[in-house]
Amino acid sequence: MKLKTTAGLALASFGLTVGAMAADIRIDGFPDYDSQLNRILPAFEASTGHKVSQLMNNHGDHHNKIATNLATGQGAGDVVLIDVGFVGSFVDQGGFVDLTDRFAPHASNYAEYAVLQGRGGDGRQYAVPVDLGPGVIYYRRDYMEDMGYNLDEVMASWDSYIAYGKELKEKHGVLLIGNAAAIAAAYINFNVEPGNGLYFDADGNSMVTSPRFVRAFELAKQVRDAGLDGNISEWTEDWYEGFKNGTFATQMSGAWLLGHLQNWMAPDTAGMWGVSHLPGGIYGSWGGSFLGIPRQSSNPDAAWALIEHMISADNQLAGFQNIAAFPAHTGTYSDSSFDEPIDFLRGQQARQMFAEIAENVTPVAPHRGDLIAQSLVIQTALEQVLNDGVPVMTALRTAEAQIRRRVR
Amino acid sequence: MSRNLDVSPEVSDVVRAADTAKADNIKRLWNKSTPYWFVSPYLIIFGVFGVFPIFFMVFLSFHHWNPVAGLGSMRWVGLENYELALTDPMLWQAMWNTLVMALLSGIPQHLVALPMAYLLVSLGAHARHWLTTAYFLPYITSTIAVSMIFYIMYSPQSGLINHMLRALADGTLTSWAFGWINNFMPIAWLQENSLIRYSVSFVVFWKYVGFNIVIYTAGLATIPNDLYEAAKIDGASSFQRFRYIALPLMRPFIFFAVTLTIIGNMNLFEEPFVLTRGLQTAATNGMSISNYLYRVAWEWLDMGSAAAISWILFLVIGTFTGLYFWLFGRKGLEGN
Amino acid sequence: MIRILENEHYQRGVYLAGKLILWFILLLGVVITVFPFIWSAMLSTHDRSTMFSSTLTLQLSDQLVNNYHQLQQIMPFWNAMFNSMKVAGLGTLFSLLFCSMIGYALAVYQFRGRNVIFTVMICSMMIPPVLTLIPYFMVIDALGLTNTHLAVWLPFTISPFGIFLIRQYVVASVPRELLEAAKLDGASEFRTYWSVVLPLLRPGLATLAIVQFVMLWNNFLHPLVILNSREMQVITQVLRSVQSIPNTPWGAVMLGTTLSILPLLVIYLLSSKQMISGLTSGAVK
Repeated sequence: MKLKTTAGLALASFGLTVGAMAADIRIDGFPDYDSQLNRILPAFEASTGHKVSQLMNNHGDHHNKIATNLATGQGAGDVVLIDVGFVGSFVDQGGFVDLTDRFAPHASNYAEYAVLQGRGGDGRQYAVPVDLGPGVIYYRRDYMEDMGYNLDEVMASWDSYIAYGKELKEKHGVLLIGNAAAIAAAYINFNVEPGNGLYFDADGNSMVTSPRFVRAFELAKQVRDAGLDGNISEWTEDWYEGFKNGTFATQMSGAWLLGHLQNWMAPDTAGMWGVSHLPGGIYGSWGGSFLGIPRQSSNPDAAWALIEHMISADNQLAGFQNIAAFPAHTGTYSDSSFDEPIDFLRGQQARQMFAEIAENVTPVAPHRGDLIAQSLVIQTALEQVLNDGVPVMTALRTAEAQIRRRVR
Repeated sequence: MSRNLDVSPEVSDVVRAADTAKADNIKRLWNKSTPYWFVSPYLIIFGVFGVFPIFFMVFLSFHHWNPVAGLGSMRWVGLENYELALTDPMLWQAMWNTLVMALLSGIPQHLVALPMAYLLVSLGAHARHWLTTAYFLPYITSTIAVSMIFYIMYSPQSGLINHMLRALADGTLTSWAFGWINNFMPIAWLQENSLIRYSVSFVVFWKYVGFNIVIYTAGLATIPNDLYEAAKIDGASSFQRFRYIALPLMRPFIFFAVTLTIIGNMNLFEEPFVLTRGLQTAATNGMSISNYLYRVAWEWLDMGSAAAISWILFLVIGTFTGLYFWLFGRKGLEGN
Repeated sequence: MIRILENEHYQRGVYLAGKLILWFILLLGVVITVFPFIWSAMLSTHDRSTMFSSTLTLQLSDQLVNNYHQLQQIMPFWNAMFNSMKVAGLGTLFSLLFCSMIGYALAVYQFRGRNVIFTVMICSMMIPPVLTLIPYFMVIDALGLTNTHLAVWLPFTISPFGIFLIRQYVVASVPRELLEAAKLDGASEFRTYWSVVLPLLRPGLATLAIVQFVMLWNNFLHPLVILNSREMQVITQVLRSVQSIPNTPWGAVMLGTTLSILPLLVIYLLSSKQMISGLTSGAVK
């Protein structure tokens, strides 16, 4: 009898260990997530017994590698980090584990629009948001209130914003923005009509000749023609120089630009900056990342445990501190750190604004043709309009014809 | 064929003693198989690693395939990918861009590298060694450093090139000839569609001149000294010796280097990609066919179309190369 | 006028002036080609906040030691350098052997299939590598070679470039009579190749060695999908892996980049000596 009990106990404990067997898993991602993982993984490994290795590649390489892995069903990590730009095309193709049931108890804690972005066409959750990029506009305070302009009046609408740019140029010789293309991109991305996608309506028809696109292109063209932008490409030496020297007065971006500005792009300009909603008070997101588990993973349970760890409120806050990844977990927004004034922004409590934006972004349904449309519209067509003087409607019609052919 | 391998020379000696006719046969077989032993590494390695990808790509070009959906999701579409590609204005634009950039960078490369190699050889061992090393550096310098430096050189406001042009246009001695440049300032070398092909071509030229100099230097090493000596005694000038001795004897190398340039330049990828910031600026005229291919395959995730485009590109390059072989191959492929 | 032209001093003057112009052009070329290299070395003494500037800053900074520490912290730098040496070294050695065998055979033997092999080889250069990546990965995976160094050098040892180069080199520099003579002396085919032909090919092999080493060293696409553990990764991979728009430690990256070019330079200098062993300048002058 005694023997039997011992055997039974041994069996039971054996069963237990199998259930929570420690696993070796790998997370594939891109920098700066390694900095965050290095800090939060030890606790995870200690509490679960899983061992986690990391494979970081630069942003573009990482996504190419993941595409190869998904194509062949081999070689992907157990957890993969996916940029929001790829989420629509990657997760809805059957290569990822359905996380709906696992995520269901948590879903309401995360920014709604981002949660919806991680869903496939079938309404199932294939990726969960880990950080967000609330869309904002950074502006130079020394060209705004210090020169007697009123921020609210300037940002009231796109027209008032451009009028401000004209005055800046005439009176002070300052440019409004580094590149007019950003204006068109912002307008297109943040004025999506309810029910429609970015480039396609609910029925999958291209919308790129609709008034939203025409207006966006015209705004950008107006700025370019009036000489209010520098035709400076983003992430170039000229761009960094522009921030340092105050060549231009505003820059649209995700909230995350703040970290770069104060850390290395223009640390000497502390106190000269402020951040605002985009003109017309529109809400939108500019960047963000997701986590998913490829179906080829042999340890989906351990992988999910890691995801849970990464999106927990504490680690979301840690990520905000460590790598300025804006939390997707809305519960973190009540943390006292969100009230801190930011010296670089002349004491502005900017994080509250970021949080407000994150909670109010209208969800936009992804479409499998988004990447195609984006490069044809935002890159090719816009460039033709701004640089080569092609009429707006001609460029957009050409783009639409191309989209029709390419999105199959 | 493996049987021949087992027949060692000693064995064949014995056989010869027994039956000479039979031995001759074996020897002939063995000799006949020799070239195949020499090329066997190619046959094996290409057979293992090279053949499948090619067939896969042929297969792919008749399918619609989003790679992230996995291998099972291929859908047969017949010739649709080819039809789509051949009627794609962007493809033809990219093809034209590639051709222009290939010529703009390729022709000067050889016109400079060939005489340069000859000149360097005539300069003496030390000068040649260090100068060739210097000219070869762009070929090995990392793309990051190269792209950073050219962004700075080409910068519209503060770039070195525009600084020099401004100095020419404003200089007291030069303004009468170059004053008109000011009308176009600041010149956006990497942002303007009308300029990007020149800007890219210069970088390609800069990167590969040294590479070609090295190939030509190796080629010059095959020319026996006594030929030059004899010509010298006959009173041939330095130029004549270049023209009538070096140039004809260099034919196999010129043929080789030009073939590489044709194929390499038509596959141009890195330089236009980096200088247009991953096709963010001036992509209409700056996008090469390989760049477009990359976009269709890896950004638009339409592998079937990309495969079709690459076979079209293959045919185009093949035509150029074939034409070149047909025109110059007889002399270029044969010895002296 | 004619007297002036015949004047010895005048001729000497023209000669010197010509020489001066020639050297000016040659050295200008050196400046243009060497500068980016020197400049990237200079940048490795900078911190990213002082590095980016749209005007050319030709100042050294004092961050070299910091950058080196950071470099070792963010990536297994020397391990990756060692891996690259191994991959490029082995790959180059084997391609010298394979390409010379194949190129020699294509140049001297008449055999059935020769033109087919040559054509296939030339054609295989025309296929864009960005597209064959997926099927290539499938082959490697099927052979069980994922995460091995073999998979990133072996397939590249039959470089069409190398085979073609050697073929041309043999055609240009190996006299048929020499091969006939070797045959009459009773040398076997392989022996002829090994002891008669190879020594003649030295400059060509040296050229091939440089190009092949650089190619294998800089190869990035294939290691990206094949090598997936930190300790196996090659230098191009680890250097790229820390570059992203956010927060790239550019100072350390520039230092790593500069250091990673040095082996290529050393290989070049070594082979350059071999490459021009066949050249004596006196005769060409």
